[in-house]
Amino acid sequence: MMINYVVALAALLFMIGAVGVLVRKNPLIMFMSAEMMWNAAALAFIAFARNYHDVTGQVMAFLIIATAAAEVGIGLAIMVAVYHRRHRLDIDEISHLKG
Amino acid sequence: MRYLLPEIIVAGGALLGLLAIVGVPKVRGLASWILLVALLAAGIDAATMWNVTPSLIVYNSMAIDKYGIAVTELVLLAGISTLLLAWNAEYFGEEFPVLVALSVLGMMGLGGATSLIPVFLGIELLSLPLYILAASRHTAEGGEAALKYLLLGAFSSGILLFGMALLYGATSTLIFVAYPGIASHAQVWLLWPGLALVVVGITFKLAIVPFHMWVPDVYEGSPTPVTNLMAFGTKVGAAIILLRILAFGFYGQASAWGLLLGYLAVLTMIVGNLLALPQTNLKRLLGYSGIGHAGFLLIGIATHNIQGAQAMMFYLLPYGLAAIAVFAVIRLLEGGPGGEDRGVTLTDLKGMAYQRPWLAMVLTVGMLSFAGIPLTGGFVGKFFLVQAALFANRPGFAVGIVVGTLVGLAAYLRPLQAMFQRDGVSERVRTMRWSAAGVVVVVVAVVGTIGIGVYPQPLVHIVSQSANFYWLKGG
Repeated sequence: MMINYVVALAALLFMIGAVGVLVRKNPLIMFMSAEMMWNAAALAFIAFARNYHDVTGQVMAFLIIATAAAEVGIGLAIMVAVYHRRHRLDIDEISHLKG
Repeated sequence: MRYLLPEIIVAGGALLGLLAIVGVPKVRGLASWILLVALLAAGIDAATMWNVTPSLIVYNSMAIDKYGIAVTELVLLAGISTLLLAWNAEYFGEEFPVLVALSVLGMMGLGGATSLIPVFLGIELLSLPLYILAASRHTAEGGEAALKYLLLGAFSSGILLFGMALLYGATSTLIFVAYPGIASHAQVWLLWPGLALVVVGITFKLAIVPFHMWVPDVYEGSPTPVTNLMAFGTKVGAAIILLRILAFGFYGQASAWGLLLGYLAVLTMIVGNLLALPQTNLKRLLGYSGIGHAGFLLIGIATHNIQGAQAMMFYLLPYGLAAIAVFAVIRLLEGGPGGEDRGVTLTDLKGMAYQRPWLAMVLTVGMLSFAGIPLTGGFVGKFFLVQAALFANRPGFAVGIVVGTLVGLAAYLRPLQAMFQRDGVSERVRTMRWSAAGVVVVVVAVVGTIGIGVYPQPLVHIVSQSANFYWLKGG
């Protein structure tokens, strides 16, 4: 059945994204990986929506895309602000706050 | 339409506030006034709906019941206190009150959600303005806090979303109140991983112990009024929606998730309060204390009985009031522009009990309520949690609450001890100035905290009505 392959692909994308957030040091790449997790979820929603002939899953996919766009806008602005201060983006060096 | 009027008032107020910023830039603080009035109006309007007949609206994806109304009042209190703590502080930017109102709108949406769509939208609408607010001070610490909050927020939302997708795949619907009826012929191999991912995603937001690392950094780096909103508002939103999803959608499997969440809660209480012990920065201390309190809240969910739901609902108000009191003290000690650049530490409290007795009294009431000393609201809240744990026949949870409280007591007494030191008065205590908005916040927080502790019956009555939300499945 097709649905199993699509969901397996979504799960694979989700895993790649999660591993990316956990192992990469550059906040930009980490953010990109997190967005990949979102898109994996959107893919799974669409696959299930098609399987069940139900429109709510597709609605959810659209909402995910729109929210992700808003989040990227805010996220990149914050990263630019941080980069302005340091001229380097490495999550291990951004560690002023600790304890 | 009538039922969503509080949300519409807040959204309309936010739009009006934006228009005021653009249209009348000469009148400074106009947006703050508009949003303050809008939040108050929404609170009054929600209160008039108290006797509403519970019902589902918007194609069964939102519920109108006393539970949602109580959540609305709580988050509006958080929003109003945040606005007042940042009153006249122009260095936050004109858009500050609008972003606060939008974040509060997301929390209000979470209170009534019965479908996964408002859950997702509510959590994102709550988080996105907070990312901006965390960075609104334009300092290295603010940027770092915002970046950490953003990355962890996006990561946890991703986990939450994939869990939702799996739940949708297992049940073919996003309306989680319908899950108990479907569970018998749902695809179990998708249902359990989906539930696990959703719970992990929300516990990230609630800061339960394996997922708590981001909280102290974010609390310390963010401006104090914003930290107040994070500590009170987001805790209300995340705890409430976790209770709704688990108690409505998965009550059949309560024996499985109840015990697991209970152990996590006990771990969270003890670890959070232990880590609070060595802290010298007050906001960082409150961050760890917030982790500990998230553990207390989780007990109310884990017991899975009506007493637990009531106890959690009750606990939110004294916790929030005490947090407001302590954040107001920090805010007053920070003073004007530039004062925030160096965090308020324990040495800054030196001599406060003799030089500023009223401020010292506020901090004492807040800290004692956090610790759960009798005659404060925190004690009554913890008492009900222990009661709920015993009703659920889980004495281990009750022992965990007591141990967590004892560890917390030591952490909360350290600021008080610093305050009573006689050798000299710190610069911050000497130069501190009262502000009118600060006085309003402090009076409400202190009167509320002591009032709930001395005479809790009215609140108990309200809470027992609001947490009685099992109308959806039984009838």
